[in-house]
Amino acid sequence: MPKRKKEITISVLLLLPAVIIFAMLIIYPVCNTVWLSFFKWKGIAGQPKEFVGIANYLKVLTGNSFWNSMLNSLYFMIGGFGILMPLSFGLALIVTSNVRCRRFLKTSYFMPVILSTTAVALIWVYILNPSFGALNQFLDIVGLSNGKKDWLSTPTLNVWCVVLVNEWMYAGYNMLIFVAGLIAIPDSIFDAAKIDGCGFWYRVRYIILPLSKGSFKIFAVLCITGCLKVFDLIWAMTKGGPNNVSSTPAIMLYTEAFTYKNFGKSSTIGVILLMTGIVLSLGVNRCLRYKED
Amino acid sequence: MKGKSTNRAGKISIGKILTYIFAFFWAFMTIFPVVITFLSSFKNNVEINTGMFSLPKVWRFSNYIDAWKLAHIGRAVGNSLFLSFATTVLVTVIGISASYILARKNFSVVKKIYTLFLVGVMVPIHCTIIPVSALAGNIQAKNEYWFLVLVYTAFNLAQAIFLYTGFIQGIDKEMDEAAFMDGCGEIHLLYKIIFPLCKPIIFTEAIFVFTFCYGELVYSLTLLSEESKYTMARAVLSFTGNHTVEYGPIFASIIVAVFPMLLLYILFHEKIQAGMMAGAVKG
Repeated sequence: MPKRKKEITISVLLLLPAVIIFAMLIIYPVCNTVWLSFFKWKGIAGQPKEFVGIANYLKVLTGNSFWNSMLNSLYFMIGGFGILMPLSFGLALIVTSNVRCRRFLKTSYFMPVILSTTAVALIWVYILNPSFGALNQFLDIVGLSNGKKDWLSTPTLNVWCVVLVNEWMYAGYNMLIFVAGLIAIPDSIFDAAKIDGCGFWYRVRYIILPLSKGSFKIFAVLCITGCLKVFDLIWAMTKGGPNNVSSTPAIMLYTEAFTYKNFGKSSTIGVILLMTGIVLSLGVNRCLRYKED
Repeated sequence: MKGKSTNRAGKISIGKILTYIFAFFWAFMTIFPVVITFLSSFKNNVEINTGMFSLPKVWRFSNYIDAWKLAHIGRAVGNSLFLSFATTVLVTVIGISASYILARKNFSVVKKIYTLFLVGVMVPIHCTIIPVSALAGNIQAKNEYWFLVLVYTAFNLAQAIFLYTGFIQGIDKEMDEAAFMDGCGEIHLLYKIIFPLCKPIIFTEAIFVFTFCYGELVYSLTLLSEESKYTMARAVLSFTGNHTVEYGPIFASIIVAVFPMLLLYILFHEKIQAGMMAGAVKG
């Protein structure tokens, strides 16, 4: 069967590059991270790795800093559902309505995503700067000098600053998710509603919201998995400081490995992060599927 | 034309006014921070200290020259653009080749490999830093761009394959059969027929890959230590961390860093938005 043999050869040749890259840089590292999470290792090549069983897991899960970083991820989630979701949905309603300059509005709403996280972070670092930042200068101008703060060094406040910058950056992106849902709603439904004399709020409540369920589901999955992975914004804005109060699991993973050289412990955080991510996204998927039935 | 408050012929409702106020307020909010940064990039410290909102009295282009010389921002942006471009090409070529097989062949192994890639979509980038940087150390690949490109490719491959395979499955199989009848080989079919048909989804994924690579931070932190190889994110961060006395050049370096993406966005904003929308909904 030379033809079948040829087919197999071509299949292997075309698949091979993808499989090799994926195996070498995703599958092997993930397995290795799981393996390393049971060892104590200072990251020096050649130095023996000491098997410590689940000691790393106990250390991480009983330590305050890990739970603090999870709490910060939770803030990102609260911000995501409490601020980002209504904001992006509102923006989506605006750009799909017949307001003037729709295209200009849509283009400007979406712009921050394109700028890349580090640049966005630094733009805001200088706006929030305590000595000359635009925000404090603005407070001076409007006569609220008492409200001036060292935004990025005050514990908890700084996490919320980063959360808000995160919403600023991704509002336009999430708006597009809702826009995709909104433009899929057939015009005939709106025409019918118009004939029945439905007001704006009725339309939102009884037509748009029920028919945008799919968009909300996509948003929920992206938001929950995204919140666990926050790294760039925090790193560029606070570096997790002061004293790790603003660190997220991803930041903690990085500093444990490359600042404190606890490679085993860092791997443990990696495994926990991976597991939580998978469990949460499967969980959200399942929950929302039940609701749809 | 939807979701708008019904008001009878030309009557202006309060709802409409509020909508307009909010719509333009948010547009102002998104653009203004960039404008402040742009204005500050021409100022000196005194002007920055006294008023971030005012126009610079003198347009100091020398700030840009300083950013260019001290932060090597031009080189760093070039590096990032190169990495993004190389990764985008690699993801597209490797991804489409693999997806074609995954979508069209029925070998039992093929299904298993596809599942593996699907699971790969869920792996967060940070979970692999230690093994990957150890690997880079072992094969002397630190500070090597080819390795960084492979790492970036690996992270975008899973999503690319997911999107491409779905798309190719939607292309009629009769197309393939007609091509085979004409004596067209598989490679020819893939690059001359399937590839052009996949253009929309390739464009969508390319935007994601390009923006991801341009701003990527974690791996450029762990794998790069030579200053001449710094990416945009790395260079801007280390420049701002240096506690330079003058702030003007720092703002200038931020503006240079965002300039290429901003330019691409202004030129292709309709396509980028459409592409991102398609990708966001499927991903």
